[in-house]
Amino acid sequence: MAAGTNKPLLSVRDLVVEFETDQGVLRAVDGVSFDIHAGETLGLVGESGCGKTVTGLSILGLVPSPPGRIVSGRILLEGSDLAGMDEVGLRKIRGSKVSMIFQEPMTALNPVFRIGNQMRDVLQRHQGLTRLQAHSAAIEILAKVGIPEPAVRVEDYPHQLSGGMRQRVMIAMALSCGPKLLVADEPTTALDVTTQAQVLEQIVRLQQEFGMAMLLVTHDLGVVAETCRHAVVMYCGRIVESSSIDELFARPRHPYTTGLLASIPRATEERGDELPVIPGMVPDLLHLPRGCAFADRCPKAHERCRQSVPHLDLLQSTRTSVACYEPNA
Amino acid sequence: MEVLQYIVRKLIAGIPLVLGVTLISFVLIVYFGPDKTYELLGKNPTAEEIAEIRSQLGYDQPFTTRYLDYLREVIRLEFGNSESTDEKVSSILARTIPTSLALAIPGFILGNLLGVMLALVAAYFRGYWIDKFIMGFAAVGMSISFLIAIIGFQILLSSSDGLDLLPVRGWDTSTPLQYIRYVTVPTLATVFVALGYNTRFYRAVIVEEMTRDHVRTARAFGVPPAQLFYRNILKNSMIPIVTRIMFSIPVIVISGSLLLESYFGIPGVGKVTYDAIVTGDQPILKAVVVLTAVLFVVAQLLADICYRIVDPRVSLK
Ligand SMILES: Nc1ncnc2c1ncn2[C@@H]1O[C@H](COP(=O)(O)OP(=O)(O)OP(=O)(O)O)[C@@H](O)[C@H]1O
Ligand SMILES: [Mg+2]
Repeated sequence: MAAGTNKPLLSVRDLVVEFETDQGVLRAVDGVSFDIHAGETLGLVGESGCGKTVTGLSILGLVPSPPGRIVSGRILLEGSDLAGMDEVGLRKIRGSKVSMIFQEPMTALNPVFRIGNQMRDVLQRHQGLTRLQAHSAAIEILAKVGIPEPAVRVEDYPHQLSGGMRQRVMIAMALSCGPKLLVADEPTTALDVTTQAQVLEQIVRLQQEFGMAMLLVTHDLGVVAETCRHAVVMYCGRIVESSSIDELFARPRHPYTTGLLASIPRATEERGDELPVIPGMVPDLLHLPRGCAFADRCPKAHERCRQSVPHLDLLQSTRTSVACYEPNA
Repeated sequence: MEVLQYIVRKLIAGIPLVLGVTLISFVLIVYFGPDKTYELLGKNPTAEEIAEIRSQLGYDQPFTTRYLDYLREVIRLEFGNSESTDEKVSSILARTIPTSLALAIPGFILGNLLGVMLALVAAYFRGYWIDKFIMGFAAVGMSISFLIAIIGFQILLSSSDGLDLLPVRGWDTSTPLQYIRYVTVPTLATVFVALGYNTRFYRAVIVEEMTRDHVRTARAFGVPPAQLFYRNILKNSMIPIVTRIMFSIPVIVISGSLLLESYFGIPGVGKVTYDAIVTGDQPILKAVVVLTAVLFVVAQLLADICYRIVDPRVSLK
């Protein structure tokens, strides 16, 4: 964030990802750019379907292909471009330098192998450990993510664990090779509320302990507020606002961000009060309007908004970038 | 111990199926099948002669008595003697079943093994020409009738118009080489047709498994393709694959060997059954019907045990 001289760990530039569908070409990610510095957490927020997961998958070269493909853009990890890298090169990075944890803990692990077996596999491949070394390393990291009796649990099959435990196993697996970057795609969305808080806290604690950078994908601004110092807001495949957390909550510049913030339930509000929702519907990615994708739902939209897409520009005398012709003051 | 208990429980549960099949087939064979009375009588028989023959054949007994007699035979696995050759049915079966197995097993194994392998290749290269080529080949296998496939391979390998390498028909297992010479054409025809259906089915199963979350996870941890296919995709596709294999056993044994053996003149159960149908040889038909029902029960049992082996989530309860 601070525009220091040190280079970012990850630098995504003008990323465009498209899917070939029966109804035509769908642009899921459209010109996305952001930086993540070593050891920092960047929040990536937005409504369902706005392209958060696809952005995360792109970093590891995991966009399902066919039908998807990275059309253009660069994904620079410590200077080397992951977007242009071949499978063999990517395989060396996946799980070692960059790890990803997924939205669905119930189905993310291979059901027919013991979790110890799956964890050993990663450690042996990337760290060159022997089976025995990998086994004790797996137990050690399971203990770190808060799994009770790790030496016993390591012999369990995924179906023998609860959702929260499975997500912890995923986290353990993701951290096992000491990655520099963790892509966490809604790591707590599928869990129940109490587990959510525990798992999130665990992730943040381990992130600091390991000193890794994190891209935290979520649609929950509350989570962002607790964990990140900087966040980008996505809408229909584009970044509409990029800002520090303090700024984002105090002075949301994009009308969409304002709407998102207004729809967070607050403890102080009277129960029974209806939360304001953003009027209208998210447009279909196959039939995006010519101008700003948010124009039809925006209270401030005018002719220009419907004619051309606003660029993501730095607001004068701030560190906030916003893609809007009429940003809030 | 758990497995043993399970097997016993399953076999007991299979009894109603066997009973049902025996009852239906008994009615069909005995009441709608050929009536032997007039074959055994001379011209213009008297009413007494007819009655005497019918009582010799047991036709005059009430239904329940006849059915219970049959069940008694089933339990003792002793079906009397063939009506056409007078050989004991049990010794006929003991002689012919190994022949049928020797004929069916190579085609069965190859058809499934190659099916899975081609399906893996097609699924891995899905959308590319190699996928289209394999699936086109499968479509040909599916649309060509079994008999045409047999005749095609005969012309190709056994006739003077083709390579003229192998015998046209018959059976000889005196030496391994002779066995291979005789088993090749029926096996090729079986594999060609089975491969069509198998490849298509297995490809669909594998492609579906390829889209699962755990496959994505494995890729996100740098698992190389060969390992991905084995540990994530194949291992998790085993339940539908096992199901198909196990339930194709009875079908292959019955319909496959019936046609192949009578066409090639191979002395297996299929040929014996075919002859028994033609001549109305009831003891043999009754025995074959029971064996088939038992085969179904056993195949299902084997399938369940295999599920337990391939998938830790399955428990034998
Ligand atoms: N395999 C695919 N084939 C076709 N379209 C896809 C595919 N995967 C994603 N998309 C499209 O890309 C868009 C972005 O999807 P993505 O999964 O990134 O959304 P998301 O922001 O992660 O949403 P959520 O909060 O629901 O996880 C969606 O509109 C979706 O329809
Ligand atoms: Mg998502």
